Amino acid sequence: MKNNRFVAIVLVPALTLLTLFVIIPIMGSFFFSLFDYNPLRNQNHFLGLGNYARLLQDSTYIKSFQNTLIFVFVTVAINIALTLVLGQFISGVKRRWLRNLFLVAIFLPCVAPVANSAVVWSRSMYPTKGGLINVLLMALDITPVNWVGSPLMLMPALIIFTIWVDIGYNTVLFTAGIDGIPKDFYEAADIDGAGHIIRFFKITLPLLGRTFSFVTAMTIISHFQMFAQFEIMARDGGPGKAGQVLTTYIYYSGFKAKDMGYASAISVTLFLLILAVTLVQQRLNRVDWGY
Amino acid sequence: MHEGAKGVAEGVRKGIIFSIVTVFSLAMLTPYVWMLLLSFKHQAEINKANTFLPDVWTLRNYIKVFETVPMVHWFMNSVMVAVSATTIVLFTSTLVGFIFAKYKFRGKNIIFWFILATMMVPPQTTMVPSFLLIDRLGLYDKLPSLVIPGMVGGFGIFLCRQFIEDIPDSLCEAALIDGAKDFYIYWHVIIPLIRPAIGALTIFTFLIYWNEYMLPLLYLNNPLNMTLSLAISFFSTQRTTDVGAIMAVATLVMLPVTIVFIAFQKQFIKSIAMTGVK
Repeated sequence: MKNNRFVAIVLVPALTLLTLFVIIPIMGSFFFSLFDYNPLRNQNHFLGLGNYARLLQDSTYIKSFQNTLIFVFVTVAINIALTLVLGQFISGVKRRWLRNLFLVAIFLPCVAPVANSAVVWSRSMYPTKGGLINVLLMALDITPVNWVGSPLMLMPALIIFTIWVDIGYNTVLFTAGIDGIPKDFYEAADIDGAGHIIRFFKITLPLLGRTFSFVTAMTIISHFQMFAQFEIMARDGGPGKAGQVLTTYIYYSGFKAKDMGYASAISVTLFLLILAVTLVQQRLNRVDWGY
Repeated sequence: MHEGAKGVAEGVRKGIIFSIVTVFSLAMLTPYVWMLLLSFKHQAEINKANTFLPDVWTLRNYIKVFETVPMVHWFMNSVMVAVSATTIVLFTSTLVGFIFAKYKFRGKNIIFWFILATMMVPPQTTMVPSFLLIDRLGLYDKLPSLVIPGMVGGFGIFLCRQFIEDIPDSLCEAALIDGAKDFYIYWHVIIPLIRPAIGALTIFTFLIYWNEYMLPLLYLNNPLNMTLSLAISFFSTQRTTDVGAIMAVATLVMLPVTIVFIAFQKQFIKSIAMTGVK
């Protein structure tokens, strides 16, 4: 169809909004990163790349950067492995209602606000005194673990929580993906005498192809952006800044220390990091996995 | 004989898998069960930490919550933000998706590419400028600050375009010949045919706005203006020692989402599979 007037009436306001609330802010991040910007001051000096030079000297930034990478890769690796297995298992459950029951239980944390679940975990699961995990550990005669209060265990605590809160999405996606694989492949493998583990690696995984690479990429990107659990369970980075990641460091620098220019420089590095992952994913996605 | 042994082995394998998934599903629910139990315990019993079920069931935590904090008000704030945002996003996504699926105009590809590119900008990387913009627009500490910036979004447009492209052009052309105007075609021909996409987008968008934590934290200040996500975190820092009351608030936050989710579980799960795989 053709109607330029109608197209313009729809697109002009839509593009204006996108420009105002997405393009200008990201350009703003680049712009402010060049200044020593504090909204409470009258004078804000131009620093050039000064804020970026400061990043390289800032041990908290380096720590946040490392924490982010460790968090993303460990959490995503466990998440993908676990959800693939769960998807395979649940896909094998023939009774509809039972299968729905499993998916409902696993998906419930995805429906609830992450902030709410983070409060529940930090106040009722993780505490040394009365936290359910420690109560259970003590019942097994294991010394209680100081989950969110010690620099060593804070990151594992955040990883465990995040896996719990986020596996629902991928379990649903992989279950659907595995359901979509034609059954004759498995029957042929069966005749050839291939075991379940071989079938999983030789049939399920390759044939999941697109779903697998899409899900992995989306999970990585979304984990780089996680914020609520870090802000709630590791206030101000937690002990020894062990729970500080780039998103929360942007928040604390910009909104607690009011060092907005510096916060913008951190934002730019996070943006470039996520952009790089996105571009790599799109490159990989061009590989043809179809069957 | 061999076949029979194989059948037994298969049965055992199925039994093991079934047990693993059952235990796992129950473990997933444990934090919520524990939250619920704590919310009915006296603080003294929570401190002693030697019971699983409450010795004495009490509603004191809930009564205290309703007497001391504006729970209903926070709930209504969340409802207003999530409902208005979802309604607007549905309207703009379907309409812009329709334009890209069915109209020919100059620069179409480059404009669509531009819209997709906006999806690559995570809000976490624009905290500072977005905050300054919201402040400049006079939206600071007002609920519309959570709705207005997301009124048009790349994901919804992309999803709707995919679905609308599958509708045969002949349907639109027939309506055009009958003298229908563009908006009439959008409303009476297109919308009824993309119900599944609309359902999925509704659930997806609603969840995002209902659960959002970072933007309310940045844009809201007065406790009366808070949405539930922010309110629970605010409450837990105000009453650090009152675990029973914190769990009562957490339970009240969980209750509506759980009810809606259980009622529409099939649609939820189908939508997630659809938005992901399509």
